[in-house]
Amino acid sequence: MKRTALLIACTAMAVVVTAGPVDGHHAFGAEFDRDAPIRLAGPIVRLEWVNPHTWIHLEHTNEDGSKEVWMVEGGTPNVLLRRGLRRDCLTPGTEIIVDGYQAKDHSLPRANGRDITFTDGTKIFLGSSGTGAPYEAEMLAARRERGRC
Amino acid sequence: MPRLPDGTPDLQGNWSNATMTPIVRPPGVAEILTSEQVSALEQGRQDFITSDYEDSDPERGAPPVGGELTGDPIFDAATGGTGGYNQFFVDAGDNIAIYDGEPRSSLIVYPEDGRRAAFTPEGERRVAERVAFNRQFNQYDNPENRPLAERCMMSFGSNGGPPMLPNYFYNNNYTIVQTPDAIMIMTEMVHDVRVIRMGEPRPLPEHMRPWLGDSWGRWDGDTLVIETTNIHPQQVLMGMSNASFYPSEDTRVIERLTRVSDDQMNYEFTIDDPTIFADQIRGEVPFNRLDGLLYEYACHEANYALENVLRGARSQEERERNENQQDRR
Repeated sequence: MKRTALLIACTAMAVVVTAGPVDGHHAFGAEFDRDAPIRLAGPIVRLEWVNPHTWIHLEHTNEDGSKEVWMVEGGTPNVLLRRGLRRDCLTPGTEIIVDGYQAKDHSLPRANGRDITFTDGTKIFLGSSGTGAPYEAEMLAARRERGRC
Repeated sequence: MPRLPDGTPDLQGNWSNATMTPIVRPPGVAEILTSEQVSALEQGRQDFITSDYEDSDPERGAPPVGGELTGDPIFDAATGGTGGYNQFFVDAGDNIAIYDGEPRSSLIVYPEDGRRAAFTPEGERRVAERVAFNRQFNQYDNPENRPLAERCMMSFGSNGGPPMLPNYFYNNNYTIVQTPDAIMIMTEMVHDVRVIRMGEPRPLPEHMRPWLGDSWGRWDGDTLVIETTNIHPQQVLMGMSNASFYPSEDTRVIERLTRVSDDQMNYEFTIDDPTIFADQIRGEVPFNRLDGLLYEYACHEANYALENVLRGARSQEERERNENQQDRR
């Protein structure tokens, strides 16, 4: 299964690469319940493009047809802003799919955005850090051809 | 060398210390990496990023119950198997640190094994004392028991300094503003600001120990030398590594910043504390010019995480109480 982990070992010397906890501002393991996995799908109703972490609100339709607004936690918006995030990349009404885990307080409709994508499976953003590395240019060019930010 | 009107080197502007090179050197790895090792590591990082950007299955279901462990003990401990969030939020540094033309395997360069110096018996006693003290409390009992970064008190890792080190996640950026009387270094994360007074030191009384410590500076030729003491006892130094430690009342950090080109500064640090360490700890980190802006990091503005963590703990306690009551019946 493909993972969306943040700083995973990538070579035999990966320990050289990754030296720290991986959730930055706070530990996701303390916030979300690994025994409460969820899959959410629906239109974005609100974006909180704020620190320390972004929160995307989407309207999910339950199995019984009822609708419920969930809040999904991502990472810091500063990285995206520095990479030239365009406001029209992600606007209210945009349909997305999220998989993750619910907050440990199960009365809260909140979850981590382990993987956030558009409905065709493409990622909502790419992570070009503007280093000019060839892999970034290729990825971004391919993405633009598909009409994505 | 760009200079200010008073002749001192101009260190002003935006800088970044993001790098793949860890603070502590892994065992068995040489201090200087070969070009083949550098290529393999940087390619590995690029491959990982590229693979993470691949499309996901739009028909995918919820992730597995119990979480998904990766086998990386640090990652698994932090996420509890929840997977965190997408890589596009991360800007950890895609390159090995090049310092004086050498690709480095660790930011610590002394002791020579690239690891933290050994504790003195007194240092070990203080670590044991702190552990015993903390064991009295549940770490989720109240906000004061949560880490400083989670409370938006300070940047995480050792971003704010001293020493100023990368956090291996994002926003490893600094702005330096210089006057003849004071030099300000602002860290993007949580906007930790150090104001380094220039000239004769006027140390604070011993009992005054602010966040980031008390710093004063002087010029040694073209090198800015910063000396810091009185560091707050709850501030972790060299976080995001297994060299992290709490300072003692005697911890003294000497930092040296030298502009070596338009786009790079050499940053050296020495940690000196004979009370808790048997030897000094020294490190070297390249600071590269940031071609971009620093953004506001209004951490308190939307820190739902702290609420979620504390409410989560209360909720879990309630579930456990209910389960125990059912068992008794």
